[in-house]
Amino acid sequence: MSIKIAAMILAGGKGTRLQSLTRKTAKPAVSYGGKYRIIDFPLSNCANSGISHVGVLTQYESSELNTYIGSGRNWGINGVDALMSVLTPKQTEEGSSWYRGTADAIYENLDWLDEIDPEYVLILSGDHIYSCTYNEMLNLTEEKDADCTISVCEVPWEEASRFGILETDEEGNILAFKEKPKQPKSNLASMGIYIFKYKSLRSALVADAKDETSDHDFGKNIIPSMLEGGKKLIAYTYKGYWKDVGTIASLHQANMDLLLSGDPTINLMSMTGGQRIYSEDNHATPQFIGPKATVKDCLINQGAKVYGSVDHCVISSDVIVEEGASVANSVLMLGARIEKGAKVVDAMIGPHALVEEGEEVKPEKGTIALVSNKKALGR
Amino acid sequence: MKNVIGLINFHSSPEISPLTDNRPLGSTSFLGRYALCDFALSAFCNAGIDTIGLLVKDHQRSILKHVGSLDSWTRNTKTSQRIIMYNEPGHQNLACNTDLQNIKENDWALYDSNANYIVVAPAHIIASLDLRPILAEHIARHEKITVVGTKVKDASKEFLSENILKADKDGCIYDNYPNPGDEKGPAILSMAIYIINRTVLADMIHRFLPANPSLDLRKLIYQAAEEGQYQCHLHLYEGYARCIDSFDHYMEYSFELLNPEIAEQLFRPDWPIYTKSHDTPPALYGAKSSVKDSMVANGALIEGNVEHSIIGRNVRIAPGANVKNAIIFSSTHIGENALIEDALIDKYSMITRSKKIGGTKENPLYLHQGAIV
Repeated sequence: MSIKIAAMILAGGKGTRLQSLTRKTAKPAVSYGGKYRIIDFPLSNCANSGISHVGVLTQYESSELNTYIGSGRNWGINGVDALMSVLTPKQTEEGSSWYRGTADAIYENLDWLDEIDPEYVLILSGDHIYSCTYNEMLNLTEEKDADCTISVCEVPWEEASRFGILETDEEGNILAFKEKPKQPKSNLASMGIYIFKYKSLRSALVADAKDETSDHDFGKNIIPSMLEGGKKLIAYTYKGYWKDVGTIASLHQANMDLLLSGDPTINLMSMTGGQRIYSEDNHATPQFIGPKATVKDCLINQGAKVYGSVDHCVISSDVIVEEGASVANSVLMLGARIEKGAKVVDAMIGPHALVEEGEEVKPEKGTIALVSNKKALGR
Repeated sequence: MKNVIGLINFHSSPEISPLTDNRPLGSTSFLGRYALCDFALSAFCNAGIDTIGLLVKDHQRSILKHVGSLDSWTRNTKTSQRIIMYNEPGHQNLACNTDLQNIKENDWALYDSNANYIVVAPAHIIASLDLRPILAEHIARHEKITVVGTKVKDASKEFLSENILKADKDGCIYDNYPNPGDEKGPAILSMAIYIINRTVLADMIHRFLPANPSLDLRKLIYQAAEEGQYQCHLHLYEGYARCIDSFDHYMEYSFELLNPEIAEQLFRPDWPIYTKSHDTPPALYGAKSSVKDSMVANGALIEGNVEHSIIGRNVRIAPGANVKNAIIFSSTHIGENALIEDALIDKYSMITRSKKIGGTKENPLYLHQGAIV
């Protein structure tokens, strides 16, 4: 049976600006929303799109991420004929090297794609937060017989120079692509989501690999060279919530977006049926809210125990907020512990971090504090 | 453990009307997240027992919906065996729809197996019980039948559906009879967990069942001992154990686990309780909600007030609603300004705006599945 589409998820990035959260964890494996890791979103989107051949390209601090992905069971990508592969840099006859860029990462794994021989290849980022299926985008690609479709969203004009910007004609054909243009001619930003005809992708990657001056990057090299070569590239306009979280502040904000008071365009409760986001189940007990607790405007995962006061927070499994502690506008990650009398405002409390009795965490106004001391382990 | 078969016995659970009108007690929701049979299934999984049979009496749809292919309680999905055991002829003759007839009907467990021991555990008793030392004791003492019992403070109030056991100093059971409910004071009650040598069970079924087709496992063990055929050994379990034998006890034991000191006896860090994953998002609390002294399952959306309650998966509690001393099963919606007190609201129900319903502490209200009030 021929395979319509295979997905390749780029998950090798370091995410330096997430500071200590990514010191030992790849950015796609960073926890989010009390229950999830960021990569649950693209993986669930693949599952919900009926894509059953998925390769995840990992590199930086990959063991935790590789372990998490495992056989793909968490997302149901382990059924009949399904294939979930973690693809790390490897040694070959030609030698060995790290992935030199996004395009090189795919190039190094053409053997994996050749084996599947799909009609189309979907390229995704492992660190974007959004919920959708890719079926409409694939239909458009087939309908227009495009070599490549790039998913775009409209960004505010004043921010357009931070993105890869596409210029299109009225029919959505891409005329030009510019990485971070000083004077943008459009506000359609590339989301780093591509569907390629596999044959076209393959020849572009092979040509790029031979070019020693290339950065081997999709945005900088592959897309411009395909445009130059006269290939048909089209834009697919995405409407809905989409976030590329790069900093502690933006990760904090993306968490707060999930609250009832947050961004109405992302609502986990409305993602039911074939729109659910799947994740690992951690066998935790139900969450417990103590007799003296106050809980306002929060998202709380199973296994958390709240005895103190929490307001405008996202709270993971195995978190304990002791009596008399108060936490506001903060994210408490897996196993964090806030001892009695502690006060936490505007913070990200990392996995297994401890805020000790009576301690105060309060950053300068307008910033987000990060606590990641792992001291709650074994308490 | 390769030489052990674990059987979850849905036959031995009592009927608790109206809670079990459409489902067996074993697949009834507990604490918003579990089904009662999760505790026995987790005990098998944690003990490394990987040949598991479910002795299904009736309502198999409800059980299958929860357990699926039992993957959630299985360490290795290839090397393990998981079998749903169903007694087809028992449905022509309900008097014979017993655990023993079910085992006889599915006699692979008796004859087509290399296992030396069969462990039977009921689906309605809640405990975090480690079977490994009990099995080790059974083997070391060369016992043929071991019954696990627990000490209760007052036999007239607890384990009303189970047997009172009396044993001598050596742990040899010399008396074994259904709890009459009027014997006040401490006693040892059967947890309906049996470890039986496979060949012994086959022999007992062969010997006693033809003459008495409605015999069940509990009576068989009693009878075998009575007639001097097989001696039974008592293993006394000392940890937390509760038997769901009535609607009132279902309510009482649910609420008692809101006390963290009691909950810690059941939910131990080294003893995970596994259950089916529903991939529901974390629970959402509104800006004006007030929640105290409660357990809340994932997928719940609470904008009202909740006190001393257990809130199930995908429950919605609208702004201004008050829920107190109540258990709300999954996917129920409580409308704006509604008031629910001292009640159990079953699944998929809808309490409309400003409705007030409830019972009393002594006599809580039960609202059936899918009710619209």
